[in-house]
Amino acid sequence: MDEEIKILLVDDERMVRRSMEKTLTRAGFYVVTAEDTASALELFKEELAEEPFDLALLDLNMPNFEGVPAANAGLELLSELVKLQPTLPVVVLTAFDEVERAKDAVARGARAYFVKGREAGLLELVNEILGTEAA
Amino acid sequence: MEKQNLSERRAALLQAGAQVSRNIISILDPEELLQKTVDIICEEFGFYYAGVFLLDETGEWAVLHSGRGAAGAAMVGEGHKLKVGGLSMIGAATGRNQALIALDVGEEPVHFKNPHLPLTRSEMALPLAVGDTVIGALTVQSVEEAAFTRDDITALQAMADQLAIAIHNARLYSQNARLLKQASRRARLLEAAAEVGAGVASILDLDTLLHKTVDIICSAYDFYYAGVFLLDETSEWAVLRAGHGEAGANMVALGHKLQVGGLSMIGTAIAERKARIALDVGEEAVHFKNPHLPLTRSEMALPLVVAEGENHARVIGAVTVQSVEEAAFSHEDISSLQAMADQLAIALHNAHLLHELEIAHAELVRTKTYEAVATATTEAIHWIGNKALPITVSVQRLRDDLSDLSDVAPEVIESLLEDLTLIDDSAKLIFAVKEHLIGPAREYMPAPAMIEDVVRDVVTQMALPAELVSYKIAPNLPLAIADTTQLNRALTYVLQNAVEAMQKAPAPHIQVTLAPAEEKGALYVSVRVADVGPGISASEMDKMWAAFYTTKGAKHAGLGLSACLQIMKQIDGKIVAANRPEGGAEFTLFIPADLGTQKPAELPAGRSLLLVDDDDVWSRFVEELLTNAGNSVSRAPDGEAPLSDFDLILVDYTLSGGSCTKVLAKIAKAGMADRTLVVSSNLRVEQTMELMRFGVRDVIVKPYTHAALAAKLG
Repeated sequence: MDEEIKILLVDDERMVRRSMEKTLTRAGFYVVTAEDTASALELFKEELAEEPFDLALLDLNMPNFEGVPAANAGLELLSELVKLQPTLPVVVLTAFDEVERAKDAVARGARAYFVKGREAGLLELVNEILGTEAA
Repeated sequence: MEKQNLSERRAALLQAGAQVSRNIISILDPEELLQKTVDIICEEFGFYYAGVFLLDETGEWAVLHSGRGAAGAAMVGEGHKLKVGGLSMIGAATGRNQALIALDVGEEPVHFKNPHLPLTRSEMALPLAVGDTVIGALTVQSVEEAAFTRDDITALQAMADQLAIAIHNARLYSQNARLLKQASRRARLLEAAAEVGAGVASILDLDTLLHKTVDIICSAYDFYYAGVFLLDETSEWAVLRAGHGEAGANMVALGHKLQVGGLSMIGTAIAERKARIALDVGEEAVHFKNPHLPLTRSEMALPLVVAEGENHARVIGAVTVQSVEEAAFSHEDISSLQAMADQLAIALHNAHLLHELEIAHAELVRTKTYEAVATATTEAIHWIGNKALPITVSVQRLRDDLSDLSDVAPEVIESLLEDLTLIDDSAKLIFAVKEHLIGPAREYMPAPAMIEDVVRDVVTQMALPAELVSYKIAPNLPLAIADTTQLNRALTYVLQNAVEAMQKAPAPHIQVTLAPAEEKGALYVSVRVADVGPGISASEMDKMWAAFYTTKGAKHAGLGLSACLQIMKQIDGKIVAANRPEGGAEFTLFIPADLGTQKPAELPAGRSLLLVDDDDVWSRFVEELLTNAGNSVSRAPDGEAPLSDFDLILVDYTLSGGSCTKVLAKIAKAGMADRTLVVSSNLRVEQTMELMRFGVRDVIVKPYTHAALAAKLG
């Protein structure tokens, strides 16, 4: 792949964000991070015109558009992003094993749902999703 | 002269008879009366010997009650008695109610062989009768041959009749006196019983109540000793809980107990629910061997029985009452003392209830404490778990980096890798803790469920060997209300626990029993998981429910049972642990039964369906419902069915004979994934996402009712 793959990573937990950013950067991805839904959406809109993202990784539980921490903030952002870019592969990240929320995420257009802490396979998943996109 | 002699003699006899009558008529003590009679007869008439026989209770024997002189005393001492209606003169006189005379040795020699009365040459036997009822006979003996005439009989019989009436009166008197005495004794006992009842009814502290009771019994009845035994939890032993005086205190301190149904009076009284009396040493010597109570000569054991509901009574223990007197208790005493015991039983029962209430309260406090600790822990662990999230990923990056450092000494690299492994293990343990504690609390979705199906799915998913687990399932088991995903977790912990407990067992086996249960009016479906491991030690019994308690070493977070407790609370059920009498431990989960308020909705009809599932309780239920609704249902236990043009395919995630993903791959290949519904008694995110990726219509929790099935298929 000559062209750099651009990933949006949104998580309000600084250490988590930095750690994941490091993993992805080392794997050769170009990572742009945001720490809440509002700034993430703004960033996404800015980039959309110039150089759109290839994939988004969204935390679920973070400040929503009103700046209030909410369990579904990631899903709200997901809906907005998919509205703007329907083909965007999105992976939702969460701390909990919640099947209904995962299915909700898929229904809103997410490609996958990942429980943090079981993320050993996250890189493989990202590669799999992007590889499928490329094919 | 002879005539005159005869008439004088008759007059003398009549006079003597009158004398006897006068002297004896006022004697009311029967023994004194009889002795006086024989003495007067011999003194007044100048006879060699006289004796009075009275019939015994059976009426078959005439027993000598008094006799003249040393001979008489000797014979009374020997218990001399003659058969009524027998060959002896007394026997004939009592048998026929008729006076007899034997006049000399030559004529009836057999009657004069009595070694105590060697000089007897004539004998007369006179019946003692009141009306037609013979009560005994009088013997009069002379050293002269042919001493008695027919006329003598008439005279002496008049006296004998008087004597009979006097004896009868004396007997009536003593009987009346006895009855009177009994009546007043009974009144006194009843009074004491009431005193015990009043004294103890309001005491709710068990020990105070019991000690007060034994003291009241001893002081009110003036008994030697009283003690109260209560049944232990197993109902196999009656344990002395209070005893009068120092002896009682010593025996309580020694843990004195008697086996129910054993040989002791207490053991028998409890087992048979009947009062028991032992009256003296001779009769039932075994009961008086207690070295603490050397003076006991009579003992009574009274069961303590409380009514439970209308037709049921329960024995809770027994009271022993002991006296230093032989034959201290009459059968009448039992009724009055039993009245007292009944009062005591009620008071004891009340105290028991309070005690049980206290235990329940203590348990409530304990579980509330655990709950509070668990909640606080959950918050903390959630926070810690999230903060620790990057650790494993960072560790992985460091590992990768280390493998690139070719200019660093290999032993340094090895040491660094070892440290990384330690960090990684710690982080993984923190994650495991977080998963355990957070897991049960999230996404609670209760619905009616077939517990049998849930349990069997857990066993299949754990891949336990088929011979390890056997089932006992009550017929017509109701549905239960539960979040089956959470219940699956709880059951997995409990079964895992059983498997681990039996690692050293020679023949590991798990018995799973499903049955309806009722407690305090609420209905449950109970799941009992019994193992043959070493059981649970007393110290573990309480602690094991607390978070972070483990007996399995540092690798376990010790959260399985704590999580179970949390899950069971969330579904309004409970979990109870116990040791089995035959060895091993058992955990019983109580899941609230479904009261069936859902209305059946309309099922689809006229469709062709494929059901990929084992032949189990759920698949049979679904097949029957859908077939009856007018669909054609095909079955494929392992998914190896030709995929013709089905309208709908239902696939159970848990298949004992195959893998769900393989089945789905085949279905997807045949282009029928979008008509496929995957059902599972438990759902997890990864598994759900994996299945969703086959493009199936949905992955859902198994519908266990008509209404739920209709909602999912509609």
